Amino acid sequence: MKKNATATVLQVIILVLCAVMCAGSKLVFHACGAKDDGSFMTCHWAEQALFGIGCALAASAVIMLIVRRPKTKSGVALGMIPVSAVYALVPGRLINLCMMTDMRCHSVMKPAAMILGILLAVICAVYAFVTRNDD
Amino acid sequence: MKRSKNIAVRNIAGKPLRSAVLVILAALLSLTVCAGTLIVRSLRSGLDSLEARLGADVMVVPKEASQKQSFENIVLQGSTGYFYMDKSLMDKVTGRDGVGKSSPQFFLASASAGCCSIPVQIIGFDPDTDFTITPWIKRSYGGELGLFDVVIGNDLNAFVGDSIKFYGVDCRVAAKLDKTGTNFDTAVFTNADTIKQLIRASLDLGMNSFESLDPDNSVSCVLINSDGTRSPEEIVNDINVHVKKVRAFRTGDMISGISSSLSGVSDVIGVMIAAVWLLGLVILLLAFTMSVNERKKEFAVLRAAGASRGKLASVVMQEAVITGLAGSIAGALLGIAAIVPFSKAIENALGLPFLTPDIASAAVPAVMSVLLSAAVCALAAAVSAVRISRIDTALILRGDN
Repeated sequence: MKKNATATVLQVIILVLCAVMCAGSKLVFHACGAKDDGSFMTCHWAEQALFGIGCALAASAVIMLIVRRPKTKSGVALGMIPVSAVYALVPGRLINLCMMTDMRCHSVMKPAAMILGILLAVICAVYAFVTRNDD
Repeated sequence: MKRSKNIAVRNIAGKPLRSAVLVILAALLSLTVCAGTLIVRSLRSGLDSLEARLGADVMVVPKEASQKQSFENIVLQGSTGYFYMDKSLMDKVTGRDGVGKSSPQFFLASASAGCCSIPVQIIGFDPDTDFTITPWIKRSYGGELGLFDVVIGNDLNAFVGDSIKFYGVDCRVAAKLDKTGTNFDTAVFTNADTIKQLIRASLDLGMNSFESLDPDNSVSCVLINSDGTRSPEEIVNDINVHVKKVRAFRTGDMISGISSSLSGVSDVIGVMIAAVWLLGLVILLLAFTMSVNERKKEFAVLRAAGASRGKLASVVMQEAVITGLAGSIAGALLGIAAIVPFSKAIENALGLPFLTPDIASAAVPAVMSVLLSAAVCALAAAVSAVRISRIDTALILRGDN
């Protein structure tokens, strides 16, 4: 496969992954619902943080597609690596989750955030490596 | 980029779409074996763990409780709920012939625990007579549980030394238990004195449905082991005939329901794996046959250029092994990533005990599925490799194939 095609495919994968990380945190692997009294448990704030970071990552992915200079694209990809790591670490490590680990936040949100965060970091690193000599 | 001198590698890189399809097929085969094996193993470990947790031949509960649908989940798996019977019934039960060891248990569902709105099951036991929970707790905690000391299941997000409040009473976490893969992982265990205080606190707050309950003269269930003179079945029949207001069960019979569900799930998974493999094998055979057919002229040119028949077969086999291995490894990793981190979600969805192996143990089915899937790719390619090694170069190059 041509190098440019590889880079384009990777950029599209990054964009899709970021969109999943952003929308998924609210629609698919969201945290537990509100308590009976209407208040939220801590996992709700972890979900909010995931959504915020997901939006930032999705915006970075769009920027990556729009800009033309390969070095700028690589820079954006490299910048997304630590942000992805933060995304993976938010539920359960940076923000505490509920008390019982069989609750949704522990059983679905935490592993999903971990897997997606690591996957994005790896793909961004691969992108930066593949395009390291592009000018 | 440096180009590989290996013909098989260049063939793979030269046809990215075809290679991607073969890699995805190999990944699918490996994923189904790896994930399927992990699920079946986890279900079996969960059932073994549940059997080990029960540890009694017979369980006696109040008759009203035995008619509730949630009863089996409460006593078997530690789901939330509670029921009580008079302590005098326990004395009648333990006085029957053939009863060896016996010990009462007390159940209470908390209104909330810390930040969570979902209640946890609190199980009380008598440390002097208990023979089911104590051996399990001893593995994590060697000391004696004092008043308001609790031992928590592995899935509760609290740690030794933390304080948990139940019905306004602060309890100290003395130990955290090993994982069992059942709802016992979210239960809290404590001694009889503490749970009686907690039941009293729930009554004082008006949050217990048994309003006229006397915690000192009530138990939730009695666990019994036979003394060897009578079989558990005889003890069950004797208690059910001679002691009113209670119902006795053989714990083995109670587990058989879960065991048959597990066997059903295992069978479904087995059939799915077989179907995917059959389909995958057929598609792989077709894919390699088509791939070799469309490149007959390329192979004929190689043959004319001096490549031996063995070399042509080797190129086809190398392509198959490289794509097969790449796909199989990706599929196995995907299988582990889909099962191990989401084990709790799977357990909740299946409603069966589910104890996933650790990463090291999960590596065994992963490696097995990689080897199996790569071998199937090689097998599917072998047919094409044999055919291509027998091509009539002149005929192909003339176009009369």
